[in-house]
Amino acid sequence: MARVLVLGYGNPLRSDDGLGWRIAVELFRANASPDVLVLPCHQLTPDLSETASLAETVIFVDCSRKGEPGEIHCEEVRSQSGPASFTHDLSPAALLDLAAELFGVCPKAWLFTICGEWFVPGENFSPLVNSRIPELKAMIRRHIEDALTSSVTPRPRTLVS
Amino acid sequence: MQSAVSKSIVIDPVTRIEGHGKITLQLDPNGRVEDAHFHVTQFRGFEKFCEGRPFYEMPALMARICGICPVSHLIASAKACDALLAVRIPPTAEKLRRIFGLAQVVQSHALSFFYLSSPDLLLGMDADPAKANLFGVLEKKPELARDGIHLRQFGQQIIERLGGKRIHPSWVVPGGVSEPLTELNRDAILAGIPEALAIAERTLDWFKSIMENFREEIGSFGNFPSLFLGIVKKNGGLTFYDGGIRIVNSAGEVVANGLDPSDYREYIGEKVESWSYLKSPYYEPSGYPQGIYRVGPLARLNVADRCGTPRADQELAEFHELQRTAVLSSFHYHHARLVEILYCVERLEQLLNDPEILSRQVRAVAGPNCLEGVGCCEAPRGTLFHHYKIDERGLIRWANLVIATGQNNLAMNRGILQVAKHFVRGERLTPGMLNRMEALIRTYDPCLSCSTHAFGEMPLVIQLLNASGQIVDEVRRPC
Repeated sequence: MARVLVLGYGNPLRSDDGLGWRIAVELFRANASPDVLVLPCHQLTPDLSETASLAETVIFVDCSRKGEPGEIHCEEVRSQSGPASFTHDLSPAALLDLAAELFGVCPKAWLFTICGEWFVPGENFSPLVNSRIPELKAMIRRHIEDALTSSVTPRPRTLVS
Repeated sequence: MQSAVSKSIVIDPVTRIEGHGKITLQLDPNGRVEDAHFHVTQFRGFEKFCEGRPFYEMPALMARICGICPVSHLIASAKACDALLAVRIPPTAEKLRRIFGLAQVVQSHALSFFYLSSPDLLLGMDADPAKANLFGVLEKKPELARDGIHLRQFGQQIIERLGGKRIHPSWVVPGGVSEPLTELNRDAILAGIPEALAIAERTLDWFKSIMENFREEIGSFGNFPSLFLGIVKKNGGLTFYDGGIRIVNSAGEVVANGLDPSDYREYIGEKVESWSYLKSPYYEPSGYPQGIYRVGPLARLNVADRCGTPRADQELAEFHELQRTAVLSSFHYHHARLVEILYCVERLEQLLNDPEILSRQVRAVAGPNCLEGVGCCEAPRGTLFHHYKIDERGLIRWANLVIATGQNNLAMNRGILQVAKHFVRGERLTPGMLNRMEALIRTYDPCLSCSTHAFGEMPLVIQLLNASGQIVDEVRRPC
C-alpha cells in the first residue's frame, strides 16, 4: 500500500477552485512511485477515510478563500473530534477523524493551499493563481520526498469497537 | 383565495437529500394542515442545451446531469444511441454495462441508506439534528458506519476499475463500451464480493430488527394506494438493464405487462405544475392525478416476481410477506433498497464469473441509421428514459428525459401531506415534526439535480409582493 496519499480536490469547472484537482491530475500522470498514491477528487467523501487510514502521510491540496489571492499556505492537519454537519463532503480534519475512529489510525497530514481569486464557472485559473502553481507543486514534491525518506509512524488511535 | 387567517409553514431547505427543495404547508384557520407541496427550486435544463450537439456526445454529456448516478444516465443515453445506430451490441458489452449499473446501484443505495437515512433509523426521528449524521452513527454504532463506508467504496471502486474514474466516467459509449474488462480488474472485484455480501446481509438483519420501532412512521410515511412501475425480465425477474415495463396496482394486481419502453409516451403523461421545476409524470390511462405511480426500489420489488439470485430471492419472499397486497408504505423503500443491494452483489458475482466476460469484442460500430431512439434502464431511484431525435447529420434536434425522481413527484407530495397531517400540530414545527417530513422525502432518495428538466414551456408565475406581503402584480406564463 502507498505510504503517501495525495488528495487534490475541487471543482475543475469553477476556475481557481479546481486547482487542487488539476495539480493532483498532473502529479498522478508524473508519478511512478508505488509508494505514492495520488487521487484527484471533486470533494472529500467519507469513503476516502479507509484509503487515508492506510497511508503514513496524507497531503491535501485545495484552493483557499482565506488570505490574499495567490498566497501559498501549508499547515498541519489534525484530527478534530466533535460534531460535524456532514452532508456529502468533509473537511480534511473530519476525514482524518473518520479514519481514526473507524480504522484506528490517524496518518500525519498537511494541507497545501493557494488563495484563489476567481471562482466563476470556467476552466482557466486566474493569472495570479496560475503563476503560483509551479511553486506549490515543487513544495508538494519536496514534502513527498521528505515523507518517503523519513520513517513516519502514523498516530495510533483506539479503535471504536 | 386563501382565508385571511390561514397560514403557511415553510421548511427550506430540505436537508440530507441530493439537490435543493423546500416544503410548504398550508394551514386552515384552525391551524390544521390543509395542503402541502414539495417544491423543487433548482433547474438544470439539459434537454435544451444538448440540442445541436452530435448524438455520440450524448452519453458523456448526460452523465454530467448527476454526480451520484452518472452511470444510469450513461447507460440510458447509450441505449438511446444504440437505437439511433440500429445495432445490437456485443453480448459481453451488454454484460459489462450490467456490471457497471449494478455497481452504481450498490454505491448509490449505500449512500442513501447509510449516509443519509441511517441516522434517523439508528438515533430516532426526534434525535438532536446536530447528531443526525454519519458522525452520530459512528458514535452509537461504529460498525454500521464502517459497513456503509466500505460498501459504498466497493461500488465506487468497481466503477473506477471499469470506467477509469468514480464520477462521470465515459466508458459506456454508443454501440457498447470503450474497453474490455481485464483479468486483473475482474479478480480484484471478485475478491471484494464476500465482504460486500456479509455487509448486505447483516445490515438487512439489523434493519428488520428495528422496524418495529417505526410502526407509526410505517403507517403514515406515504402509506396510500398507488400504482407501481418498473422494468422486469420476461420471466418477471428483477432487472436493472432491460426488459418490459410492468405496472401493478395497490392490490398487487398486474395492470399492464410487457410494455415496450420505447413507447413510453403512449402510457406515461407528463404534467407540469407552476410550483415546482419537477415534472409530474402519471400513468396516462388513469388520467391526472389519479395515475399517480411510484418507481424505485419499493416499486421494483412490488412488480418483480423473483430476483433470480438465491439470497435475494429469500429476502424478496420475506418482503412480499409484509403486506398481502403490494407493499404500500414508502418507509419500506429502505428495506427494498437493502434487498436490492444484496441482489446486486450476488448478480455481480454471477456476471463476473461468466466465461465470456473478458472477451475483447465489446463495441459495435455504425453511423446513424434511425432518426429517433429511446433508451431505458432502472436507475437506483427508479425507471429512467432518455429519448432523442436527430437530423440526417446526427445532430440532436430534440431530447426528453423522464427521470425517476420526477415519476415519484406526485407520491412525494401526497406523502408529505399524509405525514404533515399525522404529525404536525399547531403553528410551530418541532425538530421531530420537521425531520419526519424530511425523512419521508428521504425514503424516495430523490435526486433533484437529475430530475429538473424542461418539457415544453415551463409554466412560470412571478409575483411581486410589497413589504406587507401583499401581491401587487403577477405575471403568468401558462404551460
